[in-house]
Amino acid sequence: MTAPLVVDGQPDVRARPWLPWLLARAGGVVFVLWAVATITFFAIRLIPGDPAEAILGGPGSQASAEALAQARADYGLDQPLGIQYLHYFGRLAVGDLGNSYSLHDSVVKVIGENLGGTLLLALFSLILAALIALGLAAWSVRAGRVAAGVGSVLEIVAAAVPHFWLAISLILLFSTVLGWLPPVSVPGPLGYVLPVVTLGVPLAGFLGQVMRDSILDATASPFVLAARARGENDGGVFWRHVLRHAAIPAIGLAGWAFGSLISGAVIVETIFARPGIGRSLLSAVELRDVPLVVGIVLVVALGYILMTTLTDLADRLVDPRRRGNTHRGRER
Amino acid sequence: MRGTAPHWRPVEVVSALVILLLIVAAVAPVLFAPGDPLAVHPSSAFSPPSFAHFFGTDESGRDIFTRIVHGTRASLVIGLSATAIGIGLALVLGLLAGLGPRWLDFGTTRFVEVLFAFPGLLLALLFIVIYGPGVVTSTIAVGLATAPGYARIIRSQVLVVKNAPYIEAAMVLGRSRTQRVVRHLLPNVAGSLFVLATLGIGQSIVWASSLSYLGLGAVPPTAEWGAMLSAGRTYITSFWWMTFFPGVFIVLSAAATTLLGRSLQQRVRSS
Amino acid sequence: MKRLIPTLVGIASIAVLVAGCSTTASTSTAPKSGGTLVYASGDAEPTCLDPHVGGNYPQALVATQYLESLVSKDKDGKIIPWLATKCAEAPDGLSWDFTLRDNVKFTDGTPLEADAVAANIAHLQDPSTKSSTGFLALAKVAKVTAVDTHTARISLSAPDSALLDSLSQPWLAIESPTALKRSQEVNCASPVGTGPFIVKKWDRQQSITLVRNDDYNSPPADAAHTGPAYLKAIQWRFLPDSASRYAALQAGTVDVIDNAQPDTIAAAEKTKNLQHVNAPRPGASNRIELNSSIAPFNDEKVREAFIRAAQVNPAVKSLFFGTAKRSYSPLSSVEALGYSEPSLFGYSQADAAKLLDEAGWTEKNADGYRVKDGRVLELSFPVSTNQSIPAEQSLFEQLQASTKEAGFKVDLHPLDLSSWYGALGANDYNLVSAPYTKVGPDVLRILFHSDGTVPAPSGYFANHAQIKDPALDALLTTASESSDATERAELYKQAQKIVMEGYYILPLYDQQNHYLLGAKVAGFRALPSVSTPELYDTWLR
Repeated sequence: MTAPLVVDGQPDVRARPWLPWLLARAGGVVFVLWAVATITFFAIRLIPGDPAEAILGGPGSQASAEALAQARADYGLDQPLGIQYLHYFGRLAVGDLGNSYSLHDSVVKVIGENLGGTLLLALFSLILAALIALGLAAWSVRAGRVAAGVGSVLEIVAAAVPHFWLAISLILLFSTVLGWLPPVSVPGPLGYVLPVVTLGVPLAGFLGQVMRDSILDATASPFVLAARARGENDGGVFWRHVLRHAAIPAIGLAGWAFGSLISGAVIVETIFARPGIGRSLLSAVELRDVPLVVGIVLVVALGYILMTTLTDLADRLVDPRRRGNTHRGRER
Repeated sequence: MRGTAPHWRPVEVVSALVILLLIVAAVAPVLFAPGDPLAVHPSSAFSPPSFAHFFGTDESGRDIFTRIVHGTRASLVIGLSATAIGIGLALVLGLLAGLGPRWLDFGTTRFVEVLFAFPGLLLALLFIVIYGPGVVTSTIAVGLATAPGYARIIRSQVLVVKNAPYIEAAMVLGRSRTQRVVRHLLPNVAGSLFVLATLGIGQSIVWASSLSYLGLGAVPPTAEWGAMLSAGRTYITSFWWMTFFPGVFIVLSAAATTLLGRSLQQRVRSS
Repeated sequence: MKRLIPTLVGIASIAVLVAGCSTTASTSTAPKSGGTLVYASGDAEPTCLDPHVGGNYPQALVATQYLESLVSKDKDGKIIPWLATKCAEAPDGLSWDFTLRDNVKFTDGTPLEADAVAANIAHLQDPSTKSSTGFLALAKVAKVTAVDTHTARISLSAPDSALLDSLSQPWLAIESPTALKRSQEVNCASPVGTGPFIVKKWDRQQSITLVRNDDYNSPPADAAHTGPAYLKAIQWRFLPDSASRYAALQAGTVDVIDNAQPDTIAAAEKTKNLQHVNAPRPGASNRIELNSSIAPFNDEKVREAFIRAAQVNPAVKSLFFGTAKRSYSPLSSVEALGYSEPSLFGYSQADAAKLLDEAGWTEKNADGYRVKDGRVLELSFPVSTNQSIPAEQSLFEQLQASTKEAGFKVDLHPLDLSSWYGALGANDYNLVSAPYTKVGPDVLRILFHSDGTVPAPSGYFANHAQIKDPALDALLTTASESSDATERAELYKQAQKIVMEGYYILPLYDQQNHYLLGAKVAGFRALPSVSTPELYDTWLR
């Protein structure tokens, strides 16, 4: 690892005290989670539709007065909204996410059963996207201007493709016409191929474009020139210097990519009939299933916060500009 | 590319041409397609592409080429407006966070994180389910959903730029805060903003079509690309042209705007 | 009056039992035992596998495999024995005696006896079960007593001609009383019945696994064989996207799909290795209802004008590829007492224009819409994206276009289910299409009696046309209490005439219910009562 850039002779951030920073961060996390849950709670209740009906099997269930009253009493829905909110949050604070109205099962259990599928899908898609983006970027750098142009156009087109169109087209091609792959989810790795490609290709387009930009920046920057002047060969320059700087914005995008993958998962899970929290979220919103929606949103928010914290840390370690930035005495 | 003389590459010419055609189609669709996009003709439903119907007809016998041309306006307007809303909002938040005192940064960043913690689709979904489907609500919804992403990037850009040597130099030279922001900070932030915006327009068009897919977008019988894709998806195995052509145009317009934006940006940087 | 139950019908050939058209290749090979059939449903996954709780069609689809009802219906619409071998109505019509089949056991070992019937009806009527469909159907049931171990007497508060029809539905199926004593959560995950299959496992959002009941001995009177089912197991999956569902059938990943879309049916009928079963749902036809309680449809002339201006047939023909036949009746074509009057629904823009002029809508604004006293002839039409398939939504778009010619401005609002029910509950609609599945002509009472305009506590009401006609009410009430089949037929015919001649509804077609089968599947049939698939006689080649 190269020596860190030193600015004004000030010490590196890593030597500063962690505790106040950590506490502030933790406080921020709790605040975000609380805000997310509160907004979701009230937003779902704002939407027209009676939660008691959701409990009874969906809207328009022609439930009898007795059944509705029973449902309301069981779930505490007959109390004023403010009280309901306090009850709900009292339980939330101790980790009890409640019972799903529509699935009649503990929210924690429902999420637990479905989370793994979505996370795996997101992970594989992210890996695929990173590989494609990296591959295209490396190829462009080596193979010259025309290749770079082609690569750039490919990435732009890939980023512009809507998920559901890609999904159905892939099914049409690889399942109906060619018969190579199953059109819907089946146990085993084969069932992952089409969903992962559907999510990964547009993401690869994005990541690729962002990385391409920073690779270009990095390739012409002073320290790369210095490295070349020192006699390092092209490969070394690429992997040790250029890539590190290309990675910075890409890492920053990882948090966004996570959110985007969750959104894409909603559509992909529906089309390929894969179990996952994306699909659960959509049906939960349609059914006004407040506990399930809030539960899933909290989990996603938590995941997003984890991702951003990790990427922030990674950013600090990787980006020399951020590390030495203390000549004002302010921590950023 | 970098540092070379700014001559036009063929790809750039093509995308500029495409965008020009799209703008003309948005402003005066009858120049390309004089027919009525809403004219129903059950007897000629599901016709494949032919000389009479370049892109075939849909399930109600309406000419798909005409509908795509007339739908350009809706799609471009959504794309531009949603991006404008998203970036505008993000700019305010990002600048506040980056330039303000610590507490403002803390508060705004937390606010952005809260917004960002919602999966974009959920935010759009909630907004539309509360306020009803339609072009206006889906535009605002897409803007809201994309704003946090831009805000984060803008904030980190601001942070990087604000501590850069030339800003420091300007300060030493006695320039006022406003001057430093307007003359030095903003132009450098604007560079990345431009890329974001051009990526954004295409993205917004795609987003809006996804919302239409879920039944939350334009109201029938409006000719809008996403709605056409959604209507055609059940027939994709039998009548491929109903989804193919709207899909191609979504990809084409998103790609063309992005390409053009990036090439312009490269020119700006190399000058 | 005693109801004569026909003696057990002889084993009929499988092809005849399939309702509607079928392309099942006749084969002389004997049924093979074994194999797992994969069924992919396009309907939503039920939240509870016990159809007593709530009571919707997805539950009926799967519950048909493991739960059985007291009676069933054959393809001619006659009530036939199932778990009850005889049913006798008391002379005053206030009670029915059901004689249960001998030697039938639930799959948990509990014997089928009269107390089981009592326990089930009590379960349905208990508010904490939160039953909707079953609860409504048993509105007139006062109590159930066991006359002896194998005879149950159901006592009514008023004669109910719809009781047997209701009891033929899966939502009133008979479950083991021992199992019903468990918590609802447990019973929802694995209900216990007498059916040919048993619920083994439910992986939510993945599939339900059903295994063969080897001790099965209670098929309905019109089944093709006796003894255990042929299939060893069924895997019941949920594939909501119609294109990928059909692709899965073509690929052989699944064996049977439901909710087949019209274009895939047309395509499937052209291929050699896919079979098509058409089984319209019972109850009402798919119709558009005109809200007669608010302007402009409170004027009968305007209603008639709308119907004259709506050009339905070309749209149905092109959008449904000939798989849906135009209906001119409020009832489904599988209802024997359906009354049809095509002459009322002719298309004529000239007549529409004349009627609107007579109604005072004489001016037209710049866009071509009619105007009266400064108000545009505007109609709000909330469309449920869940209930209406894409072809139907396109049909509404075409009607929007054809009625525009006459000067109607129709605003289509595609809404998700909750918002749609919200709009209906708030009386915020002029046109709506709401399906209603129920066995028997009593559905007319639910849909068109003025009681149906009174909202339930949830805000829901069924009489969307908002008909409040005392003469119609009297016909429907009398019919629901009459024990005389001929009298009932006449009463229901009169009732349907009133509904259609008042131009309150625009019938479109039957509730579409199409199954597509892979080549391996043989012996598939849809139960004539609710048109759900009965996989008991099915085997895999």
